[in-house]
Amino acid sequence: MNFFKFALKNLIGRPIRTVLTIGGVALAVAVAVSLGGFNQGYKKAIEGSIEQLGFQVMVMAKGCPYEAATLMLKGGTGLLYLPDNAYTQIKEDPDVQAITPIFIGLAEKQNVGIMGDEDEGDGSNAFTIMSGIDLKSFKEMKPWFTFKTGEGYDGGRWFDENATDEIVMGYEVAEYENRKVGDTFYASVTPNGAVEPVMHEFKVVGVLERTGSQDDGSVYIPLKAAQTIFNRPNELTIVGIKLKEFNGIRMREFEGRWLRIPEVQVVSLQQVKGALISLIGTAQIMIAAVAIIAVIVAIIGVINAIMMSVFERMGEIGIMKAVGASRKQVFILIWIETLFLTLIGAIVGCLLAIVGSGAVDTALRYLLNMGVTTDMVDITLPLLVLAVVSAVILGLLAGIWPSLRAANLRPVQAIRSSE
Amino acid sequence: MIQNNEKKVLIKGRNLKRYYYRAAETVKALDGIDIDVFAGESLCILGASGSGKTTLINLLSALDAPTEGELFIDGKNVIGLSENQLVDIRRGVIGYVFQKFHLIPTLSVAENVALPLMFLGMPYSDRDIDVILDSVGLLDRRTHKPSELSGGQMQRVAVARALAVKPKVLIADEPTGNLDKQTGDDVFALFLDLVKQQNIGFILTTHNLELAERCDRVIVLEDGKIIS
Ligand SMILES: Nc1ncnc2c1ncn2[C@@H]1O[C@H](COP(=O)(O)OP(=O)(O)O)[C@@H](O)[C@H]1O
Ligand SMILES: [Mg+2]
Repeated sequence: MNFFKFALKNLIGRPIRTVLTIGGVALAVAVAVSLGGFNQGYKKAIEGSIEQLGFQVMVMAKGCPYEAATLMLKGGTGLLYLPDNAYTQIKEDPDVQAITPIFIGLAEKQNVGIMGDEDEGDGSNAFTIMSGIDLKSFKEMKPWFTFKTGEGYDGGRWFDENATDEIVMGYEVAEYENRKVGDTFYASVTPNGAVEPVMHEFKVVGVLERTGSQDDGSVYIPLKAAQTIFNRPNELTIVGIKLKEFNGIRMREFEGRWLRIPEVQVVSLQQVKGALISLIGTAQIMIAAVAIIAVIVAIIGVINAIMMSVFERMGEIGIMKAVGASRKQVFILIWIETLFLTLIGAIVGCLLAIVGSGAVDTALRYLLNMGVTTDMVDITLPLLVLAVVSAVILGLLAGIWPSLRAANLRPVQAIRSSE
Repeated sequence: MIQNNEKKVLIKGRNLKRYYYRAAETVKALDGIDIDVFAGESLCILGASGSGKTTLINLLSALDAPTEGELFIDGKNVIGLSENQLVDIRRGVIGYVFQKFHLIPTLSVAENVALPLMFLGMPYSDRDIDVILDSVGLLDRRTHKPSELSGGQMQRVAVARALAVKPKVLIADEPTGNLDKQTGDDVFALFLDLVKQQNIGFILTTHNLELAERCDRVIVLEDGKIIS
């Protein structure tokens, strides 16, 4: 027998206390790792989401750039429109490599399946994002779009540019609305200037494959059709632009040239990213506070658990000393127990964090609703190693005081106090 | 001083006092004890409950320190030593057996016996442990947990544990106090057997006259003083 084996036996011999302590450490580590993962993951996630847009610059109606950012990423409300001659003008700019006009509108969904049932109001308030796009330039901007295949999806294609009743659905909307190629889709739109909504019947001609971006949540129709339905014949929501050479200088030059169009702002997605990241920066303080509290709770928990097991075993420790254990040996023994508890707790916590990262991701995405669709929690090996190492170091620090208490006990006192 | 060898003083105490300070009063558990313990002899400390037997035996085994007096264990002055230094005094010199056995419940019989060897850093094999267990007649219980043993068996494990480090003196505080008469007699006989065999000293406390009569020497304690 050696000290490790002895410590292990002490822990196994008290399964409930051991499991509870490990659980406490594990939870704290899981929280810390998840938040750490978020910390290093969210920038990448935002970058990823922005990359999925396909363009680095957008032109939109004047407004708050942050609103513009979220609008772009999740197709939010409060849409502003700009005249579509902005598009025709900017198209001629020599620095433009690719450019695409986009019209975004919100349609109210009609749930035809349960139309007979008047009380069933579930779907009545839901909105669908309708993106009117110019097919040729849009495809150039997002060459990765492909159609879903398989039963019910085969034969998917883009709509006819002149059609008014054909739509292509993004992966998620199609899934959510349970629509396949050939199905009909009803949506009612309140045209600009009107009060009453008008109902439209569309035919689904294609369903897109998953992109993992906000594009999955949109319904696509031809630009002209969208402008007509919403009664904004010469308006656009945004113009997405890819520059031939993208850098700060080019960007400023480009911006300078086009700011002369009134009511228009030129937004670099670099700026958007900055806005989102600084927004999260504020949330980060809160997140750090949560992590620190979790860690403090865990340290107190470990000290408490070790303390309790020291007090509970006063007699035993006294006996060990009576049969020849030195102060140092008792200290080492209790410390090894602490080491085991925190090490196992930390490893379990890491596993929990990995398993639970999906849930944490969903929760964070809900809390910081910005339309970022890729994983925001990025748990890496160095992060896990850091978590385990710091948990063990903190655990060992936490174990010092109870271990010293135990080590300094006089055997007679210890045994007496336990009787 | 009949035989030089046998009369070698192992523990020497002079004017030993041990006071316990409670809220208002001072309990004079030991009040001026002079005692010599010789190597290889069996010494019985006899006394009624509360007379100070445990207090005295704890001083003699360096588990506790006196309030006042002189105390030499195996030639070393114990007065003024810290708990850490006391460990060094008792290690390997004293084997202690408690009235209530005090085995470690999470360890097997064999592991309980091996525990002092681990603490003393003495190398040992399973075979060594078996020899010790055999000497107390518990070889077949080596993997059992203390909770699976009877009182007499537990006390025999405690003896095996005390003897594992080959101490110079075996010290037992009312070793039969928690056992029925028959078992107590058997365990006591085993004690005497073993200390004779290994030629080591033996100090025990008891309030049982019968046991006292079987020892080489008897000290009677009353209210913290030796009365004979
Ligand atoms: N830790 C202690 N604190 C206070 N009083 C004690 C303590 N230990 C023993 N005593 C008192 O000292 C006296 C002698 O106790 P003890 O040595 O245990 O006697 P015995 O072992 O002969 O029964 C008793 O009056 C007891 O109450
Ligand atoms: Mg007693």
